[in-house]
Amino acid sequence: MSRNVHGFDLEARLNRRTFLKGCAMAAAALGLSDDMFPKLVKAASSPRRPPVVWLHFQECTGCTEALLRASHPDIGRLILDIISLDYHETVMAAAGNQAEENLRSTLERYNGRFLCVVEGAIPTKDGGIYCKIGGRTAMEILEDVAPKSAAVIAIGTCASFGGVQAASPNPTGAVGVRDLFNARPVINISGCPPNPVSFLGTVLHFLTFKRLPPTDQLGRPLFAYGRRIHDHCERRPHFDEGRFADQFGDSGHREGYCLYKLGCKGPETYSNCPTVRFNDVGAWPVGIGHGCIGCTEPRFWDTMTPFYERLPHVSIPGTNGISSSADSAGSKILGITAAAIGIHAAAGIGKRFLKNKPAETDNT
Amino acid sequence: MIYERRLAWSVLFRLFHWFFALSIVALVVTGFYIGDPWTNTTVIKEGKIFTMEYMRYVHFIAGFVFTGAVIVRIYLWGAGNRQEKIMDFLPVTSRNLKNLFSTVAFYLYLKDNYEDRLGHNALAGLFYLITIVMAVLQIISGFYMFYPESSFWQSCGLLLFGTQGQGRFLHHLFMWYFILFAFVHFYIVVWNDIRCQDGLISSIFNGRKFRPKKV
Repeated sequence: MSRNVHGFDLEARLNRRTFLKGCAMAAAALGLSDDMFPKLVKAASSPRRPPVVWLHFQECTGCTEALLRASHPDIGRLILDIISLDYHETVMAAAGNQAEENLRSTLERYNGRFLCVVEGAIPTKDGGIYCKIGGRTAMEILEDVAPKSAAVIAIGTCASFGGVQAASPNPTGAVGVRDLFNARPVINISGCPPNPVSFLGTVLHFLTFKRLPPTDQLGRPLFAYGRRIHDHCERRPHFDEGRFADQFGDSGHREGYCLYKLGCKGPETYSNCPTVRFNDVGAWPVGIGHGCIGCTEPRFWDTMTPFYERLPHVSIPGTNGISSSADSAGSKILGITAAAIGIHAAAGIGKRFLKNKPAETDNT
Repeated sequence: MIYERRLAWSVLFRLFHWFFALSIVALVVTGFYIGDPWTNTTVIKEGKIFTMEYMRYVHFIAGFVFTGAVIVRIYLWGAGNRQEKIMDFLPVTSRNLKNLFSTVAFYLYLKDNYEDRLGHNALAGLFYLITIVMAVLQIISGFYMFYPESSFWQSCGLLLFGTQGQGRFLHHLFMWYFILFAFVHFYIVVWNDIRCQDGLISSIFNGRKFRPKKV
C-alpha cells in the first residue's frame, strides 16, 4: 500500500492485498473461522454478486460519509468494490431522470435479488410529505423498492429506529424501516454513524451465506451489537477500581480514568466501538476522552439525555416541564413522607391529650 | 381481658422477612454507590482497592438473596399458613374490603377500635402485594442489566422497560419505592405496637401474636 506524507493512499485501484486485508477485517469482526475465509473472499469477488440500491431519506449523509471518508480510503473503496452500487444519490454520476431510470431498471432486472440499503428515517406524518425525492415521498419509494429486494439493511440509527428526527416531539412522525416494512428481512446497523466494518461484515455475511447474520431483539447483528461497550472498554479497570474523571479536564480525566461520572452511556449501549474503533486509526469516543452517548440505542436522543449525567431527569407532574434528578426527587418525596409521619404521630399524641385518656387501657 | 399467644408467622415467612429486609439495606447502600460513586483518586493515589467491583459484588449477592426471598413470599401466597395466603389480606373479598376501610379510619384516628386479626390487615396486605410486584420489576430490571447478553432477559427488559438505559433509570427509581416503603413500614409498625395489644414487633422474631382469649 503506497502512502504519501498525508497518509492518503494515492493508488486509484484497490489492490488484491488491500482487498484481502479488508475481507480479513470483516471476517474477524464477524467471528468467522479461517476455513470460511476463502469462501467469503470468493463471494465478495464473484461477478454475480447482487447489486445494491442505496436509498437516502431523512438523514445527514453522515453514515455514507463515515463509509467513504475513512482516514485512508481503503474501507470505503473496499465497500464500493465489493458491492455493486447501482443507485446511491451521494456517489452516483447520474442525475435527475437518468438516476431515476437507473433505479427503475435495477428493480426490474434484479427483482428479488438486490440488496436495499436505507439511510435515514422515514417521515409518516401528513402523508409523508416531509421527505420527497423525484416527486415521490420517502414512504412511497420504500413501498416501491423494499418489497422487490432480497433483504433490507437499515444503516444508521435514523433508518433503524428513527434517530434524531424521531426525538420528542417528532414533528414529522419519523420512524425506522422496521416500523413500516417487514415483508423482507430487515437488519439494523444502528449508530450515529455506525462503524463501516459492521456494515461491511453484514454485507459480506449476506454475500457468503445468502442470508443476514443473526440479530438481537432489536434487529441488530450480534457480531457487532452483541456486547455492551462498557464490557470491552479500555477504561473498565479504572471503573472497577473506583477511579473516575469528575470533570472534563480534571486530573482524573487527564490520567485517563473512567468517564462513568461524566455521563458515559457505555454501560447501557450495545456496540463494537471499543474493539473495532473508527477510521482505521484506533480512535473512538471514549478512547479520546468523551463519554459514550448511546447512539446505537432506540430513542437515544430522548432516553440517554442529559448526555453528561448518569440518569435521565424525572419530570415533575403539574409543573409544565420542570424536571429534577431522580435522587433529588426521591429525597424530596422522602422528606414529605417524613413530614407526614411527623404530623400523624403528633396528631395521635394530641388526640390522646385532648381526650385525656389514661396511658394504659388494658388490664391484663 | 385475657390474652393468649398464638402462632401467626411460620419460620419460612420470618426468614423471608429478614432476608428481604437485610438484602434491601445492602442493595440500597451499594446501589447508591454504584449510581453515584465517589472518586478514589482523592482518597488513595495507588488504589489497589477494587471499590466498584466490591460494591457490585455485594450488590449482586444481595440481589440474589432478594430474588430468593421474593420467590419464597410468592410461594407462601399459595402454600403458606392461613395468615400468609394471599386471600387472607387482599382487599377483594367483602371481609377484607370492610377491613381496609376500618383500618384506614383507625389509622386516621377516626375510630379507636380495630378489627382483631392474626394476619395482615387489608391495608398492609395491599401494600405488601404492591411491594412484591415492585420487587419483581426490580428483579427483572436487575437481571436485564446483569445478563446483558442473554436474549431472554433482553426480551423481558425491552418489553417492560425499553433499552438498557431506561431499564437502569427505572431500576434506580424503583429503589426509591423501597426506601419510602421501609420508612413508612417502620413507622406504622411502631405505631401499631404502641396502640394495639397484639405484640406486632416481636411477632416477626418469634412468630407469635397475642389475641384476646375467647372465654
